[in-house]
Amino acid sequence: MRRRTIVVTTLAVVLGASVAHGETLSGEYKVGVLEPLTGALAGEGKRHLEGYEIVRDLINERGGVMGKKLVFVVADAPDPTAAASEANRLITREGVKIITGTFSSRLCGAASEAAARHDVIYWETSCVDPRFNKRGLATVFRTEIDATGFGWYNIEFIAKHLAPRFNLKPNQLKIAFLSEDSSYGQGVTESARLRAKQEFGMQEVAAEYYSFTSINDFTPIITRFKQLNPDVVHHIGYTNDAPLFWRQAREQNFLFKALVHAGATGYGSPDFGRALGNDANGVFALLEPGPGFRLEALKPEGQKLEREFREAVQKRTGSYPLGGHQLAGSGLWLLKVVLDRAKSDDLAKFRDAVMSLDLPVGSMINGWGVKFDANGQNSNARVQHYMLQWQNGQLVTVWPEEFTTNRAKWIPLGAWDARK
Amino acid sequence: MDSARRLGRAQIDVLAQLGVSTVLLGGIYALIAVGLTLIFGIMRVVNFAHGEFLMLGMYAAFWAYDLAALDPYLVLLGAIPLFFAVGLLTYVLVMRGVIHASHNAQIFTTVGLSIALQNVALVVWTGDFRTLRPWHSSVVIRVLGTAFNLSQVVAFAIAVALTLALFAFMKWTHSGRVMRATAQDHDAATLMGIDTDRVYRLTFAIGIACVGAAGVLVSPLYAVYPTAGLQFVLLAYVVVVLGGLGDMVGAMLGSLIVAAVEVLGSYVFGVAWKEVFYFVLFIAVLVFRPAGLFGQRGAETLGV
Repeated sequence: MRRRTIVVTTLAVVLGASVAHGETLSGEYKVGVLEPLTGALAGEGKRHLEGYEIVRDLINERGGVMGKKLVFVVADAPDPTAAASEANRLITREGVKIITGTFSSRLCGAASEAAARHDVIYWETSCVDPRFNKRGLATVFRTEIDATGFGWYNIEFIAKHLAPRFNLKPNQLKIAFLSEDSSYGQGVTESARLRAKQEFGMQEVAAEYYSFTSINDFTPIITRFKQLNPDVVHHIGYTNDAPLFWRQAREQNFLFKALVHAGATGYGSPDFGRALGNDANGVFALLEPGPGFRLEALKPEGQKLEREFREAVQKRTGSYPLGGHQLAGSGLWLLKVVLDRAKSDDLAKFRDAVMSLDLPVGSMINGWGVKFDANGQNSNARVQHYMLQWQNGQLVTVWPEEFTTNRAKWIPLGAWDARK
Repeated sequence: MDSARRLGRAQIDVLAQLGVSTVLLGGIYALIAVGLTLIFGIMRVVNFAHGEFLMLGMYAAFWAYDLAALDPYLVLLGAIPLFFAVGLLTYVLVMRGVIHASHNAQIFTTVGLSIALQNVALVVWTGDFRTLRPWHSSVVIRVLGTAFNLSQVVAFAIAVALTLALFAFMKWTHSGRVMRATAQDHDAATLMGIDTDRVYRLTFAIGIACVGAAGVLVSPLYAVYPTAGLQFVLLAYVVVVLGGLGDMVGAMLGSLIVAAVEVLGSYVFGVAWKEVFYFVLFIAVLVFRPAGLFGQRGAETLGV
């Protein structure tokens, strides 16, 4: 009995839940939240804000931050200029010491630059621009991996899961890279190319970039790829071009063993499934955990947290957590853990607390772990990502297998009409 | 040697496929460019909102399919008069005010219209990428080692029909003759008793009806979203300049040339090069044959 108490106490400390339910919190602690709430990025920005609000309430039910009630000052950042000026306003007018946000790679650079000028902590939970942490800014942290991390995971999956199931060694695999040419697409693709070649000796047969704002026909590329006969197509697509490529590949009867994508656009977007129905079957997209995710595979404290998070999302939105909820929610919870440990928002103490965290995979929301590099970036291997696959209209978790009840199907992909 | 570039039976199939892709893609470009070349050629107005009317046509087809399960080809019948009316209304409300203003004022006006329409679409229909899948969009035709999509063939056929119809209209009808006269010399046309305001109104309405129809026809092939028009509108300008302003058949040939440059360039050098190639072509035409590849020397200054 006594031992159990100790375990529970330890868990409570690890989770930062040092104050019991219902206990009154002394005062408020204000954090600036910057998201695009109008304009073209608004849909995803609002989802992130919803994720923040759900976890804010969860945090306040579990002791707040540093014993205080966590409150938000929300600002709208539809474009980089607004992101910078709103960051300035949050700091100078609202007096916040920490800003979190901003999902888009278009916004996080400008917003964090502004925060850094004021020595204010910038806590990014989802933008993936690889340049974000390479500017030598000591106040800037990111909980999600960057685009190069996505490339790292994709090659991990191809080399360690797909290759054995094709009965091939990784160095026998022929891989064709195709990508839209944004900083995201290039970041993922270049890091994947490097790792595929250097670590696994895969045979790169093509590397093609295109602009998703002007691509109208993939048949020339598909015709060329057909002759090069790759085993795997690594395609980072955006949301208009991914369905176009997939439809034209089918029309041209382009046969390959697997297609792998990363991120919530393109093949990872619900729009892709809506566009193609069961014709989408077999495509892989690297994302946050989706249906099939096994909570039992997490550490006990991670399980409890993930379960409570899911219940809260379910209660608020009536559905399974979406990517925006997962990224914002996981990042905000980690901020609480750091603040409770640092007991201060003083930059030096905050930074020490961040750097001293060392939690294994399975400890946090999304099954993530924590281990930050000196540049303020959480590490690839700890921020566990998951391969999802389109199976009969649904994107389900299929890898790593210990984390899911679903199994990847259609490996290798058969004829186009046989993927049922 | 790159196995992709070896000669042989397989290479013949490749050439055939590239040829088919060129023709079909050219058809889509022609469909979009034909309305633009009409407005550009007769009214001398650079309509930057052209792509947004295309986008509206795509949404019309999407909603008709989504809400009432209407096939895009059925929607086409209603879309032509609908967009003719939209064109008339746009002319009366917006274009008439700037038709005699400087080119700068016209450019600012149409760019403003373009951005306004994009944002209306964004507010009303959100930024989601939508797709419609009528039965014909998944019908694949395979002939002699080439493959293509039925919706694309229909779009191409209608593009050819539309081009020829407009060509005939301009050449052999009274209205067409009046439009050409207005294009050649606005003042002389007025002195001859031509109501140029009526001519412009008609021209704009026909141009918008064409691009609205184009939107309906490409909707089974491409995702529908608020900035879908931008995907094509730059290309349409290249086509119009290549073919010569106001030249319907030139627009068709220009489309095929742009498509050929795009398809072959993408295949041989990689898809990243395609815009380099056709914009180099675009600049070369402007420098060496400013009236377009098929146009009359000096025609570029007509009515300006």
